[in-house]
Amino acid sequence: MVNRKTAKFLSFRYTILAIIFVVLAGGLVLLPKYEKHEGIDPGELLSNAVSPERYISTDELAHKIIGQDPSFLLIDVRSEDEFNKYTLPNAINITLKNLLDEDSLTYLDQSQYDVVLFSNDNFYADQAWILGNRLNYKNLKVLKGGINNWYKTIINPPIPTENMAAQEFDLYAFRKSASMFFGVVYPEQIKVVKKPVVKKVIPKKVIPIKKKKKMPVEGGC
Amino acid sequence: MGPLIPNGVIPYEWNNIIAILIGIFFGFILEASGFSSSRKLAGVFYGYDFAVLKVFFTAALVALIGILYMDYLGYLNMEQLYIHPTYLWGAIIGGVIMGVGFVAAGFCPGTSLCAVAIGKIDAIVYVIGIMIGIFIFSELYTVFEPIYNGYFEGNITLMDSLGVNRYWFAFIFTIIAIVAFAASDMIRKRVKKIFY
Repeated sequence: MVNRKTAKFLSFRYTILAIIFVVLAGGLVLLPKYEKHEGIDPGELLSNAVSPERYISTDELAHKIIGQDPSFLLIDVRSEDEFNKYTLPNAINITLKNLLDEDSLTYLDQSQYDVVLFSNDNFYADQAWILGNRLNYKNLKVLKGGINNWYKTIINPPIPTENMAAQEFDLYAFRKSASMFFGVVYPEQIKVVKKPVVKKVIPKKVIPIKKKKKMPVEGGC
Repeated sequence: MGPLIPNGVIPYEWNNIIAILIGIFFGFILEASGFSSSRKLAGVFYGYDFAVLKVFFTAALVALIGILYMDYLGYLNMEQLYIHPTYLWGAIIGGVIMGVGFVAAGFCPGTSLCAVAIGKIDAIVYVIGIMIGIFIFSELYTVFEPIYNGYFEGNITLMDSLGVNRYWFAFIFTIIAIVAFAASDMIRKRVKKIFY
């Protein structure tokens, strides 16, 4: 049996529950407010940053450009001068400063295209990637090694030495043909047009031999 | 961290299993607290039993305050939660129809199935009525479609449409609930007691 004190206490149980409710709800109002950070969780950002999947190699990119893959956008994050001097085909220039402008958001904050960021090295592109990824922009990738690596591997690929594996030769063949696509001309490509030695055919002189006409026998005996 | 399934804390395949388990417990508790009796449910409208009001209001409050605290402490991301879309006139007309059915039969759809499970004949009739209603709605869907799909307001919450800070909203809502509980108790004391 419940003793008298407990029974007295329990008769107030609904009042007590109501007070607990009010205190909890009031606590919500009185709690110190703080600004929640925009974008993804820091831990998630870190695991994305460590993942090698965020890089695209120059070979893969070359393959995509040559195959006229429509599913990606190339974004050059270098300054405008550098962009005007040299850039990859069909690249768009969004400098690191203008990365979070409203105009650039149409390119970066979308889910249709893969976005490939690049700079001279991957240094600035990485910074742009971090900024974008933190704001939860999807499909951002960084060109591994940037334009420098592009130049080293695609435009001017190192010739493999004889003792290298067959794969190296295959890779070289791909890179070489890719560089030809991007306008590099190799010495063996230049055709030296040799003039064929034409023997002069000396036309034979036709010397007509006059046939002696048989003279009709004159006279007669 | 939360919600647990979308964030991969619990694998997605557990989704249905957990739903079934929660459903079983929900049904059990509904039945255990007497909500499979149409007399108890109809009591709200006649003023002799306010258990429905108290239970559902309290459940909403517990969930609201709990979610707000968990969101504040970072255990749950409120932005990932599902918000039911609002089709304004569809909701109003549907609400009126359901309210009439509730008063007339003494069941809401969930409790009616609960009562069918324990073999109540009025609940079986009620569920047949639901089926007929579904049939009529499906057959006349083309007529109802403008209301069903129209007046779409998006996934809005009361906090959005009233423009109130959500913490203040929770606090005011709590006060309203407690006042409603007290008022319902007073009404119950005045109404003649009915034993059922």
